[in-house]
Amino acid sequence: MGNLTTRIIGVITAIFIFISLYLVFGYAAIESTMFEVQKIFYYHVSAALTVYLAFGLNCLFSVKYLIQRKPNDDLKAAAAAELGLIFCTIVLLSGPIWARYAWNTWWNWEPRLTSTLILWLMYIGYFILRSALAADKRRLYSAVLGVIAFIDVPIVHFATKFWKSEAHPERGAKFDIAPSMGHTFLVVFVTCILLFTLLLIVRYRIEKTHARYETVQQKHLGEAS
Amino acid sequence: MKTKILVLASFLVILALFLFATQMPVGIITEEGDITEPFKDKISEAVSEAISVSEVPVDTAVVERAVALSIKILDDGQRTRLTYLFAAYIVIWLVFILYVFHLEQQQQRLDKRLAQLEPTSGDEEV
Repeated sequence: MGNLTTRIIGVITAIFIFISLYLVFGYAAIESTMFEVQKIFYYHVSAALTVYLAFGLNCLFSVKYLIQRKPNDDLKAAAAAELGLIFCTIVLLSGPIWARYAWNTWWNWEPRLTSTLILWLMYIGYFILRSALAADKRRLYSAVLGVIAFIDVPIVHFATKFWKSEAHPERGAKFDIAPSMGHTFLVVFVTCILLFTLLLIVRYRIEKTHARYETVQQKHLGEAS
Repeated sequence: MKTKILVLASFLVILALFLFATQMPVGIITEEGDITEPFKDKISEAVSEAISVSEVPVDTAVVERAVALSIKILDDGQRTRLTYLFAAYIVIWLVFILYVFHLEQQQQRLDKRLAQLEPTSGDEEV
């Protein structure tokens, strides 16, 4: 993707961030049980949905790498996984702040929280594995781990259906929310997707530069020996 | 890349401004529990109006005190909720900004290393 396209996405993302923040703080109705604290929900849930997308892309490129063995697919998978980890960190950090007010505790071992933490730890493992292996093994093993780790994504999503949860609402539960809250959520979700896309492009470029550096370094070492 | 960092950082400031400008409590009650001057007259006016339609005798001072206490409870509640909201949004944007800084540094480090190696190597593509 060219520099101009990236810049256009950057500008659109910046505009969306501005609009989304205005909607969250200046437009969305104040919810009647959680009051202002409910406004954490907009970025918390949108980031959680972006995590699904990021790890889904990681799984997709991992499978593609396992079939076609193209190094670029491995780089795309790694970039998506790192972004997934960033968004997952946001979910895991903003969630407890909400929890402290809503449930009077920072953390409880509720199914969705626990499975999300496991998901985060699995992708931390993915990067530990990547940093510990040489290029060929790294691509293969991390692609396999990428596919395995993705199994936890539907578990996170359906956690409230599989196990009874008092904290998170059951999947498919109907909410009676004000239209302003619905509009705000939609804009924040689009903002998260745009932010993800922009950072993914930047991260992928860095991965490519890193791969190029490794190749040049190998060639250099070969010449020296 | 530096522009993006600036854009993200400035949004953090705008976010803080939004919070303070649109949601901050107006400070109707002082630390000692007294009604602040601009609101004192308005509350007295409202209480007098309510009492005037009452059929039973009412102690104005007691009602004013009750109103002040109610406002203080609401005021404190909102202050607490805004602290949580502000903390959450600071954390969210801090993660993004730190990550963008990390990317920027990584790119610079790689460019520097490549520049050191490449003059003596060919333009090999991955």
